[in-house]
Amino acid sequence: MKDKAGHDELPHLPLHIFLIIFVLIATYPILWVVTIALSGKQSLALATLPDRIAVTEERLVQNIPGLNDEEATAIVEALENAKWIDERGILTLKPERDKVAPLLPAELSKYAEPLHKDLMVCLAEPSTLDRLRAITPWPETFSLENFRAVFRDQPFGRWIINSAVIATATTILGVFLACTAGYAFSRFSFPGRRAGLMSFLVSQMFPGTLMLVPLYIIVVQWLQLGSSRIGLTLIYATTSIPFCVWMLKGYFDTIPKELEEAALIDGASPGVIFWRIVLPLAKPAVAVTALFSFMTGWNEFIQAATFMDKEELYTAPVGLRFFVGGFSQQWGYFSAGAIIVSIPIVILFLFLQKYLVSGLTAGSVKG
Amino acid sequence: MESGSPSHRLRFGIGIGAGAAVAILLGHFLLGGALSNLAEQRETRQGIVTLRALSDLVSRTADGDGLRKAVTEFQKAYPELKSIRVVLLEGASLEASTDPADTGEWAAPRQLSRDEKKNEKPVFDLMQKIRGTVEANREEKTAKEELEIGRLADGSGFSLAGPLEKNGEVTGLVEIKRSSAAAATRPGWITTLLYIAVPILLLVGLSFGVGNKQIPLAICAAVLLIGTIWGYGVQSRSKINREGLAASDAVASTAKTGGERVQSILQGLGIQAEPALNPASWDSDLARRPRAVLTPDLKVDPAKAMSAFAGVGTAVTRATILLIILGVAIALFFGMGWAELFARTLRVHRTAYYYVTPAMVGMIILVFFPFAYGITLSFTDYNIYTTGKPLTEIFNGFQNYVEILTDFQIAKRSADGSWAFNYYNFYWTFFFTIVWTISNVTIGVTLGLILALVLNTKTLALKPIYRVLLVLPWAVPNYITALVWRGMFHQQYGVVNQAIQMFGGSPVSWSDTPFTSFLTALATNGWLSFPFMMVVSLGALQSIPADLYEAARVDGATRWQQFTSITLPSLKPALVPAIILSVVWTFNMFNIIYLVTAGQPAGSTEILITQAYKFAFEKYRYGYAAAYSTVIFGILLVYGVFQNRITKASEGI
Repeated sequence: MKDKAGHDELPHLPLHIFLIIFVLIATYPILWVVTIALSGKQSLALATLPDRIAVTEERLVQNIPGLNDEEATAIVEALENAKWIDERGILTLKPERDKVAPLLPAELSKYAEPLHKDLMVCLAEPSTLDRLRAITPWPETFSLENFRAVFRDQPFGRWIINSAVIATATTILGVFLACTAGYAFSRFSFPGRRAGLMSFLVSQMFPGTLMLVPLYIIVVQWLQLGSSRIGLTLIYATTSIPFCVWMLKGYFDTIPKELEEAALIDGASPGVIFWRIVLPLAKPAVAVTALFSFMTGWNEFIQAATFMDKEELYTAPVGLRFFVGGFSQQWGYFSAGAIIVSIPIVILFLFLQKYLVSGLTAGSVKG
Repeated sequence: MESGSPSHRLRFGIGIGAGAAVAILLGHFLLGGALSNLAEQRETRQGIVTLRALSDLVSRTADGDGLRKAVTEFQKAYPELKSIRVVLLEGASLEASTDPADTGEWAAPRQLSRDEKKNEKPVFDLMQKIRGTVEANREEKTAKEELEIGRLADGSGFSLAGPLEKNGEVTGLVEIKRSSAAAATRPGWITTLLYIAVPILLLVGLSFGVGNKQIPLAICAAVLLIGTIWGYGVQSRSKINREGLAASDAVASTAKTGGERVQSILQGLGIQAEPALNPASWDSDLARRPRAVLTPDLKVDPAKAMSAFAGVGTAVTRATILLIILGVAIALFFGMGWAELFARTLRVHRTAYYYVTPAMVGMIILVFFPFAYGITLSFTDYNIYTTGKPLTEIFNGFQNYVEILTDFQIAKRSADGSWAFNYYNFYWTFFFTIVWTISNVTIGVTLGLILALVLNTKTLALKPIYRVLLVLPWAVPNYITALVWRGMFHQQYGVVNQAIQMFGGSPVSWSDTPFTSFLTALATNGWLSFPFMMVVSLGALQSIPADLYEAARVDGATRWQQFTSITLPSLKPALVPAIILSVVWTFNMFNIIYLVTAGQPAGSTEILITQAYKFAFEKYRYGYAAAYSTVIFGILLVYGVFQNRITKASEGI
């Protein structure tokens, strides 16, 4: 196949099939969450599978003609002794026809054939179709109950507000700090410039676990900001600085200096030049910096889990983990919450991801 | 050069003044802290002696009125006691109390109240706890604290509670509330100021001898500072020792008067002290082990009393050396003209520093300082039992590092004698982390590259839609991804096992073996990491000029040849940094491991960073965890330097 430019290309149909398979893989977990959220239930099963039926005396008497109570008791005992059923009467293995007869006492062997049939009914192994249903991301019944319940029965509204406040404050503070520092690193040459830039880069390698205990001591014991939004905001804003500074510095470098020099000749002060001329020109980079800071504040989990020990001060990530961490299995709350938390960040991300990529790779090339 | 700048004399004068002031003032406050600490210790010891005297007295009286009379007499004899309470285990009865609140309807004897107005359940719990500790200590030969000390809510003193024993059995609880009276001796300001003034004056005097020369003045200043600060250290140490001995004397007299008072109260009650009282044994620690500082005739044994201060001595020496370093550094900073240079630099580049300072201050307080503090912690035995102690006391050198790096015990003999793999070993975790990183990055790059190549097909329909859908996994917050995949790998209801059963397999218990557990984490991380590589590769592919391929085709190159000689080399500049970045990300991918496998089974799927976290926050070995994290940092740093070389080399080509 040739296109207009004369390229020869692979046939499109296999490519489409290949891509569709991958799109299915890429979207399946997302569809899974959406399905559970819309199911209105807390269970993480997408569909309820048929239950096994218990083998009890009453059932046997009902289903096997001519069987009396005593005989039924004997049969149930025999099945239990053979470890075929557990104490609740649930069949644990698939009974084979020729193994049923030897199991029974001699006088009951005439029931072997009807018993085998009945046991097969009790087994009720879900069919392939049932299984297929159980992995199809489509709710059995549609309900918005989980979305209502997560706000009504759980303090999720509070947690979202906490996250929003922290992420917004982080963005404002982080962008301010990164813009000023990035501008200085880009435009001025001063002693400590190189050391500063390198130290920012190296700080990206500090393992979070090394910082957690000292940060706890500083923030909680010294600054008395434990379990507070301010403490968490300060931590997030500073941890996002190095990436943002490198990113903005790179962008400021591309803005021609002549503009500022002209403004300087016109008598503008350095402050005016920075706020009125340079920052407006650097809007795209500032936007990416803002996105990155916001994502840091919105998505961070482990520090929030360490510093926020009051339930009403949890951030959304800590709260979501609270639903399904440990022995808690509230998947309905979790999935509804996860969707609410993800939507804003996914939309922002899709708009700005190409800048993020260029920023990330540019930063590391220079390192 | 000499004429324009201020004289060396002046610089060193300011320098030695600043150095001495900072070092000596710091020393002054350290000494003050140590002295008030000592005073507090003395009060506690005296309180313990009093409490033990009281318990001894009460245990010799019969329950009931005799006991109450003894308590009343004891309270009269000790004005510093705010109140005394004696509680018996039998019937949870408050047998005697001199607490003003326990009068009228609450007067002893009565049962402990569980009213809302007066909830005494904590007292009962405390009694049970103390009894448990005493019995455990007796059976297991341990030395846990049998006495409970607590501050009073209004800060006016402290409370002490201990067991009441009869015939070797714990029968109840004795509690006193004691006001603290004695203020600590404060270090004298006059001495401190003298210590600051003397080196300055001496340097001024000396400078007439050596003249206005930089190096001799520097040496003089350094020697003077070392001498002064050392002198201050020696003086402080002897002061601390004196106070310590005085404390033992005070305790001895408390024990002595205590013995006499108890004796007289017993006589008043007509009880023969049998066996005889032994007040010296009352001076004990909180585990009721005798300190053995007092001789049976209640004299202080100076050697024993001094030996208690051996630790204090080394701490003072260490602090003195640190102060000397600090003081000399400050003196040189001013004296050598560095301060001036520093100030000039700040002035010249002030606009730049205005802009950098806010970010830098934040970074220093919340990134660099915690980092340095973390490194410091890695040289200590900081854990949940030593939290209150100063770092100098729990310093243990390289012990944590040695423990981590020389532990080659890959297999361990378990309780039943069989050999079990020791997954908590550092080298296993390191190995696993490398396997984890390499397999993830390989999967990410391969999938990302293949998808990018497919999506780069020029005329393919629906490309933007595919692209957006394929980027989604990257956009979803990764902790949500992790929790979702954990749900999908659920043994009973998870869709993965349902799918396996649909094709006739049996459900897999994913967290039971290291390999299956690893697969779950790998699937999760693979899912969320391929879009990044895809986007990066796609960007690079689109920037390859089409005529390169044109020319290659004209030359008769096959599709594979075009791929290896045009596509791959053009991808390299974008892909190499992306790979480097994703190696670091994956190496430290805390959320996925922590939330998906949680290290199951038996810690086999921990990576270094989650292991370090667990040492800190599940085993509470903060110092050890800090050393572990420092090792991780070392590994990343080596990797960083290494990759820097490689990329620099590739840029050169």
